[in-house]
Amino acid sequence: MTEQTQVHAAPAGPVFWPKPTDTNPKLRVGFFGLTGCAGCQLSVLFNEDEILRLVEIIDVTAFPFVRERNIERDFDFLFVEGLVASRNDLETLQKLRERTKVLVALGACAHTGCVPAYRNFTLKENYEHLLYVKDRGIEDINPSPVDDYVKIDHTIPGCPPDKREILSFITDIVGGNKPKTFNNPVCIECRRNNNACLLESGKPCLGPVTRGGCNAVCVNGGFECWGCRGLTDDANVPAMVKLLEEKGYSKEFIRDRMRMFAGLKMPAEVEIIFRAANNKP
Amino acid sequence: MTAAYSMNRANLNPFLSAIAGDFELIAPVRTDIVRFEAVSDPAKICLDEQPFFPLKEFFFRKHEVILKFDGKRFTAPLKKAPKRVFFGVRRCDLNGVLHQDMVFSSGVADPYYAAQREDSLLIGFHCNEAPSEHCFCGSLDLKDFHDLMFFDRGEAYLVQVGSGKGAAFLKKFKKFFTASDYAVTDEDRFIEGVDKLKVKDISGVYDNPGWKPMVDACLSCGACTTLCPTCYCFELREVPSLQDESSERVREWSSCQLKEFTKVSGGFVYRESREDRFKHRIFHQLDYFKEKNGVNLCVGCGRCITGCPTRIDFVTGINEMKA
Ligand code: SF4
Ligand code: SF4
Ligand code: SF4
Ligand code: SF4
Ligand code: SF4
Repeated sequence: MTEQTQVHAAPAGPVFWPKPTDTNPKLRVGFFGLTGCAGCQLSVLFNEDEILRLVEIIDVTAFPFVRERNIERDFDFLFVEGLVASRNDLETLQKLRERTKVLVALGACAHTGCVPAYRNFTLKENYEHLLYVKDRGIEDINPSPVDDYVKIDHTIPGCPPDKREILSFITDIVGGNKPKTFNNPVCIECRRNNNACLLESGKPCLGPVTRGGCNAVCVNGGFECWGCRGLTDDANVPAMVKLLEEKGYSKEFIRDRMRMFAGLKMPAEVEIIFRAANNKP
Repeated sequence: MTAAYSMNRANLNPFLSAIAGDFELIAPVRTDIVRFEAVSDPAKICLDEQPFFPLKEFFFRKHEVILKFDGKRFTAPLKKAPKRVFFGVRRCDLNGVLHQDMVFSSGVADPYYAAQREDSLLIGFHCNEAPSEHCFCGSLDLKDFHDLMFFDRGEAYLVQVGSGKGAAFLKKFKKFFTASDYAVTDEDRFIEGVDKLKVKDISGVYDNPGWKPMVDACLSCGACTTLCPTCYCFELREVPSLQDESSERVREWSSCQLKEFTKVSGGFVYRESREDRFKHRIFHQLDYFKEKNGVNLCVGCGRCITGCPTRIDFVTGINEMKA
């Protein structure tokens, strides 16, 4: 993955967050997908009750997933779903970055690399025969999250992202406010919801190290948190690994579980814990 | 008020059914775990365990809209709770309510708390023995704070009246009780083995190296403060509407274990390190609050240990600290 990993910085200086003005009352907003399942773009559309109001208060200039005619420039805000997995993705992304004031990584693939980036953790001979690259003329590159290549200004995490978070982001920017990133662990919302903690029943829940904001939706439904929103800035991963080991999980299991969504955003010191266990790669 | 009554054991469920007929009755129930819930059938009540979550949420609500703005005017949406009777509340949790009363009802009273708390009646259930291995209420200076308190004496319950409200309530249901001239003593209040925290004044151990293993194990997940009957911290958020100019101001529980908790404008975080945050909780519970209010905030319920994913036992940790 090394040879492509140079970051295209956005224009230097502080990020300018556009606000609606009297002369220019509607923000110009775009939604794009790179390599991904389109589920994050669907999350935008799942706001069925609000969507008509949305297109009233912002100018959705581009949304190729649902519309044929798009104006692909002068974005105040651009949401990008998916990760960079082909030369074409990379060129699209770099072109869009140059045409955008505030770039928002929408969803886990754009944020961490998520499931598609898993390929980085295995040897090429294990998957090469599965690639449909050749017959489609796709030039394959190692899958990486968006900020491996361009600067992102905000992240809406999650696989898929919470549709309400997308709405409140738009409500904020329309009101001229800078949206807040949720940086508390999932446990905060989970405990507040009076869930019985799944770690107590031996499940490998990653809630304590995972960025919340999802209202602990998985645990509310009886499933442990798999970490789809990525690690919190404050995650104590060594303590989490130790706890799961005490519960009987192997380092290899824990590593694979954490990589599933945190993907390439696992801090280096954590990879070292796992490497110490002498697991490849 | 020291008046005491007794109640025949067989009268308990009929008494509770009668309450449930007139009020909302809230008591510990076993679902997946034991928790306080509204009950109509007293047979469902479980008094064998300490409820996993404290009573706190019934008075200091997790999510409260404290202001509404309609584009022109602000209104405060106060919604008064119905008349509620809480049964099966342990001494630690009762003192938890007392400490939250001190925070929210003294000085400038918090109207949202008052609206939930006002029409509540607290019926305690005294522990004959500690229901959890982490109980350490005996190390704290707890008060008799209840409207009525039940002591389980086998064939009968000893019932201590703790307030005028409790006396009036008992009168309404007097057919279930027999008057007694017994006065509750310290012996009745004694619970074996719960004076676990040997260091009563922790002000000298702030810099002790003994904190390190606890801090290293801490996930900063906030389970401790969420499960704590006394923790009262919250944050405020503005929630503007997408549809029009209206907006809501929301109050939600927060926790000093989170970095975000001390983040101020410009992004500066006052308690950046996990160690500072971890110690802040223990010191607020066992030192700072007392300095200001004369009583420790902590009531020794042990929930912050029972519910901690890594079971950080600061009671043992502090006891083992070397000078
Ligand atoms: S179930 Fe998971 S998210 Fe919920 S409190 Fe336990 S560890 Fe945290
Ligand atoms: S802390 Fe004390 S009062 Fe509370 S449940 Fe334990 S023994 Fe009972
Ligand atoms: S519950 Fe335990 S791990 Fe979580 S913040 Fe509290 S002390 Fe730390
Ligand atoms: S600090 Fe812990 S032991 Fe003390 S009242 Fe809170 S939860 Fe209970
Ligand atoms: S321990 Fe922390 S969360 Fe609890 S009341 Fe004190 S400062 Fe607030």
